[in-house]
Amino acid sequence: MPAIVTAERLSKTFRVKVRDPGLKGALAALVRPRYRDVHAVRDVTFRIEPGEIVAFLGPNGAGKTTTLKMLTGLLYPTTGRVEVAGFVPWTGGRDFKRRIALVLGNRQQLVWDLPPEETFLLNRAIYDIAGAAYTERLAELVDLLDLRDVLEKPVRQLSLGERMKCELAAALLHHPPLLFLDEPTLGLDVTAQEAIRGFLSQYRERHGATVLLTSHYMQDVTALASRVLIINRGHLLYDGALDALVARIARIKRIELVLGPGDGVTAEMLAGFGTVKSFHFPNAVLEVRRDEAAATSARLLAALPVADLSIEDPPIEDVIRQAFAQGLGEDP
Amino acid sequence: MTGTVDWLRRYGALLRAAWLQDLQYRASIVLWLLWGVTEPAVALGIWWAIAADGPVQGYARADFARYFFALMLVNQLTIAWDSWYLDSWIRDGELNFRLARPIHPAHEAVAENIAYKARTAGMILVVWLIVAAVWPAVRLPFGADRWALTAAAVLLAAALRFFISFATGLLAFWTTRATAIMELHAGISLFLSGRLAPLALLPPAVARVAGFLWFPYMLAFPVDLLTGTVHGAALVQGFVGQVVWLAVWVGAYRLAWTRGLRKYGAVGG
Repeated sequence: MPAIVTAERLSKTFRVKVRDPGLKGALAALVRPRYRDVHAVRDVTFRIEPGEIVAFLGPNGAGKTTTLKMLTGLLYPTTGRVEVAGFVPWTGGRDFKRRIALVLGNRQQLVWDLPPEETFLLNRAIYDIAGAAYTERLAELVDLLDLRDVLEKPVRQLSLGERMKCELAAALLHHPPLLFLDEPTLGLDVTAQEAIRGFLSQYRERHGATVLLTSHYMQDVTALASRVLIINRGHLLYDGALDALVARIARIKRIELVLGPGDGVTAEMLAGFGTVKSFHFPNAVLEVRRDEAAATSARLLAALPVADLSIEDPPIEDVIRQAFAQGLGEDP
Repeated sequence: MTGTVDWLRRYGALLRAAWLQDLQYRASIVLWLLWGVTEPAVALGIWWAIAADGPVQGYARADFARYFFALMLVNQLTIAWDSWYLDSWIRDGELNFRLARPIHPAHEAVAENIAYKARTAGMILVVWLIVAAVWPAVRLPFGADRWALTAAAVLLAAALRFFISFATGLLAFWTTRATAIMELHAGISLFLSGRLAPLALLPPAVARVAGFLWFPYMLAFPVDLLTGTVHGAALVQGFVGQVVWLAVWVGAYRLAWTRGLRKYGAVGG
């Protein structure tokens, strides 16, 4: 099957005005403006197959959103080639736009003063959705997103979480095969975040849509995405499965122990097996080298009264932080 | 045919949304309307006083009254606020989702214009009819052909002012001063489009300059048409001027739109 998204050597350079601080700087900028090139995205290449859920990861200003905007046709790339759903985004016109949905976490398309249903009706006309299909899809979205009680309230009276749910409903009424979500859970509380994640994975299962999302929240990524693209300072650092990234970056594993009854186990004894991260009897956490995790576990079970033992990867946040700090250039 | 039906449905939905939104802001509509009425009313008051001792260059008191009532109506029918909307869409990133939808953002702007104009001009018309009932000076003789020509000129003027406003608003792609430029344009048009005085009363040099620009075709020409002071060659020249300047501003809009999108930084989310 051909890729639904192809980006080849994609770059975007913004020209920004720079000025020194203070009145002098302001005057100098007025008389002789100076510019600096900001390379938001540099030479990024990737392909996405239909049905994949892919997450863009990276710190603020890494180039995630800029990439997303180039893929949706909002921005013209400085160099490089993009093909999305068979179209070049910025020349694809209406046929292209009918095939995508773009949801921006901090900008909304819902008409502020009116109930969300008015935006849905507007989109029904804009996307030429037939009456029966509209009724059926709206019912499905209302059900999946639990929107029954909010349909008639003006948008400005909705909570942030309710608004985001309505944004998603408005963006999906035309059943786009390709979803671009920029920070869909930004600023939401944990319950609302989970509701959005649950919805997205259900929606994708039902309709087989391809999803590209950017997020700051690792839970979004671990819960939804099978594949991550890590971008930092405009460069694509990593493209692949999340598990493989962890295996590549994290050279350690965590062994979490629950010790059995009886005393006599000390931190010093545990230190003989690995680095003790925490020890509050009966719980202990050790870090050991990845390739020795199995052997160390066996030795622990043989030597100590262990009631329970599990081997875990370090928290994904730690892995990502390490990835940005160390880079991903070399294999371990 | 289905294409036409689809467009009617789209415009129906856009108009519905625009009207429903406007209904939320009844107070501000009244304020804008008052502003639209106050300016010509003040101008009329001044000219009324000046014409106390007899006609000014052929304009008697009743002529001024008719002129400014016609101006009030035509101004509401042709006024365009789009540069202010576009400026905020572009600078706050609200253009983003509009660009991602399969409909050009200009259609939303056109629908909002229709919604706004239908309502405010309707109110002005009611006010005019009430005043005309008690004050014969502001009554206009009815002539089907003149009303038809006026309707055409008003439509062209509305299109012209829409494209001027839209194209100027698009300058926000390059500068943060797009609305300041529009303010400047509004200031100039105060004199050159006939908002303060009929163009016939302008100093000849100023009137000549105005004649080379688009300002008279925005307002003065359809107003003169409505009050019946333009005939023959001037009438043809007026329509030609409207069409030519409309074409120029449509060109300016297209240029600004295509170039601007290339320049666009898609600020914010």
